[in-house]
Amino acid sequence: MATLTRRTLAAAFARSFLIQGSWNYRTMLGSGFAFAMLPALRRIFQGDPKGFEASVGRHLEHFNAHPYLSNVALGAALRLESDGEDPEAVRRFKTAVRGPLGGLGDALVWASWLPAVSMAALALLWLGSPGWVAVMVFLVVYNLGHVGLRAWGFHAGLTEGRGVARSLSRASLGAWTERVRAAASVLLGLLVGAVLGGDGGLGEAGPLWGGLAVAAFVGGSIVGHRLWRPTAVAVVAAVAVVATWGWLL
Amino acid sequence: MELLWVSLLGGVLALDATSAGQFMVSRPLVSGALAGWVLGDATTGLVVGALLELYLLVSFPSGGARFPEGATATVVAVAAAAAGGPGAIPIGAAIGLVWGQVGGASISLLRKINGRLVPAPETARPERVVAMHVGALALDFMRGTVVTFAGAAAGRWTVAVLSGAWPLDPEDSLGLLLVGGAVSAGILLRSLGGFRRRRVLFAVGLLLGLVGARFL
Repeated sequence: MATLTRRTLAAAFARSFLIQGSWNYRTMLGSGFAFAMLPALRRIFQGDPKGFEASVGRHLEHFNAHPYLSNVALGAALRLESDGEDPEAVRRFKTAVRGPLGGLGDALVWASWLPAVSMAALALLWLGSPGWVAVMVFLVVYNLGHVGLRAWGFHAGLTEGRGVARSLSRASLGAWTERVRAAASVLLGLLVGAVLGGDGGLGEAGPLWGGLAVAAFVGGSIVGHRLWRPTAVAVVAAVAVVATWGWLL
Repeated sequence: MELLWVSLLGGVLALDATSAGQFMVSRPLVSGALAGWVLGDATTGLVVGALLELYLLVSFPSGGARFPEGATATVVAVAAAAAGGPGAIPIGAAIGLVWGQVGGASISLLRKINGRLVPAPETARPERVVAMHVGALALDFMRGTVVTFAGAAAGRWTVAVLSGAWPLDPEDSLGLLLVGGAVSAGILLRSLGGFRRRRVLFAVGLLLGLVGARFL
């Protein structure tokens, strides 16, 4: 990997934060992936403009994964290109990893880490912490995981290349997802307890609202699985009914 | 002028949601605090942001799925709620939830446009890839700004018309809004593995929350 300098790698890593900048239904992350690869490809194909353009075209093709874990594929693709791998092998590698990187990332980050940190921040707020503290705790804790995952993925891909599956397996992302979900379950209970008992919570609103909230909680747990529509419909409908009632009176 | 600043904030926060960074400054809790600060009403911003965070706990920008856009929705909700009046917060929050759908639809439209801008792999020159990518980022910023401007203007008008006649007192309004949050919390429990599987951990948290609320 003599051709890739620290500066080139830093540029590719920085561009990975923009990987979804031109997300589209045709190539999905493909155009962002090519954009992130560009500084490194320019260096790898120095003195070979046709090879450079062809490689940019190849990486522009359809690709999709979780945006944070796409760094695993990005790092590995950089390694494969700098090692002079056959373009078809690079293409096959990207096709093979995109599904697992999408599934693992969605489960770990969107369905576990994000709600866990959100609930921790909301619970802090309801337990009386100043607003700016809750906001800062959310941003700092969330991004420790976020930037850490991106950096780890990029490094693992770059180090292992085509064998990055070994790193993914060693990292046990599935087990980490389960741990975060367990912690999120405690945090959900903490948040519900804080809202039930805290100042400005349901305790203040009275037993009628408390009873309705319990019913709504049970209803939500029966209806939903990563569904946000029931919440939106319930709130909008209730506010619309009350507002219309007040307006007609 | 205030509307312009709020709209620009909506544009910047919309970028963070998917296109640039994803540091989650676009989440309602943070967007609400920032919008409140810009509007000079930090408390309303934080309250509305926290409510929408609770409602959108189970919504995230996953793959090609259509999702409500939390950032512009929250800025719109705070701008509407900051207009004041007895029902400003519940009406503002509801407007935000509706506007989240508008934002989500505009993201889908932008993604279709982006698909037309992407050059074919065989004709892709590097400088064209860069121009297309940067252009798509600029379009997303403009989209977020326009969506926020339209929503904030419509939201303020709606609050001005309906807020004065809001019949519930602040405690009942809070109760109504928290019942909505309870739906979201129930859905999340199911997403985390369901009540049966998580009941012990959930109960431990509940106890800690009740004790914390009493003594902190």
